[in-house]
Amino acid sequence: MAVGRKRNYEKLKDKWIKKHEELSADLFTKHRESLDWLSKNTKQIAATSLGSLILLASPGSPTLRLPDTQAQTFPIELDSKIFLISDLEKLLPQEIRELTPDEEEKIGQILSRDFGVKATAVLDGKRLNRSYGLIGAEQHLARFPGDNMSAHFDNPEEARLHYSSGMAPGLSAWGYFAPSKEQMTEEDKDRERYYIAVQTFLAPDFNQKVEQYRDFFRFRKMLVVNPQNGKGIVTAIGDAGPAVWTGKHLGGSPEVMKYLERQDGRARGPVLYYFIDDSQNVVPLGPIDVVK
Amino acid sequence: MKKYFYSHIVETSSISLTLSEIDMTNEERAHLSKLAESHLHHAILNTVLSELSEDDKKIFLTHLSEDDHDKIWALLKEKISDIEGKIKNAGEMLKKELHKDIEDSKKE
Repeated sequence: MAVGRKRNYEKLKDKWIKKHEELSADLFTKHRESLDWLSKNTKQIAATSLGSLILLASPGSPTLRLPDTQAQTFPIELDSKIFLISDLEKLLPQEIRELTPDEEEKIGQILSRDFGVKATAVLDGKRLNRSYGLIGAEQHLARFPGDNMSAHFDNPEEARLHYSSGMAPGLSAWGYFAPSKEQMTEEDKDRERYYIAVQTFLAPDFNQKVEQYRDFFRFRKMLVVNPQNGKGIVTAIGDAGPAVWTGKHLGGSPEVMKYLERQDGRARGPVLYYFIDDSQNVVPLGPIDVVK
Repeated sequence: MKKYFYSHIVETSSISLTLSEIDMTNEERAHLSKLAESHLHHAILNTVLSELSEDDKKIFLTHLSEDDHDKIWALLKEKISDIEGKIKNAGEMLKKELHKDIEDSKKE
């Protein structure tokens, strides 16, 4: 397999480097005068020889031109999330708005590919009002009657990280996660630990099919991704909200927000949120890595 | 992660996505993606420059060197009719070639 892989890469690399040289030559031949002028009049490139450069806007800096060799040199080792961040960046709009069906579909393909789960904005014909929006920080939720902050954490480290978020005064839209402390399962704990609140009440046709939608949304798994750092987490819909007037589109538990690093000064930021098609209930809740 | 002045017209993620279907390392895929982006950049610059007078080429290149997309588009829209369509066509034609190259590499 290694030989086959190398062949595919080598073949394309050889062909594309040749193509690159042809395109460069064509560009510089046709527009030599103005490119020469630029090289003499722009400090940024004055010290370099035009013939050895390509014009290429480079991440993080305006203009720029990378030496030919740089485009042809094997790059250094990459974080596996780089492709995800890059692919999403190219598809996501500058402003935080509802995605078009085409954008939603393409992004769903990227998320499915990179996280190895089936991520979709529409599941069983049902969807939320949007799949890209501002997430805000929520509080912990009571998991069973009598749950409180002093009993909420499994260990001191969890308490140290998340105690300060406090507990919401009311119950979640689905009530308690378990009937009692004794009957609470690990899955119940994870559902609260990794819960999100989404605007179920704004889903298309929600008012006509309240019961059906409530059952569908209750603890439904969703992949939530911070497109700016490529971090993804499998969450459960544990509550309905936030209210429209808040300007936020969904809420995340303290654990979800911490993992996604959506903890800027206002504890909010854009995320993608897609249903996970997991009818066999095999995708675990919690952080999920990009598939290598 | 930088946006080029034509990023909203020519998407490049499809090349990277198609490359991901081939058995190669992330580093190899990154290299080929970078080359593909560079190809598109050259082709689009060539398309734009070919439509401008020598004086306007200099203005365009100055705006490009300053990465000022607003000024770039103000100039291009004033000087070239249907510049967006022309950039899109140039990008799509090259992408078609690149996709064909990828398909061919699987067969050979």
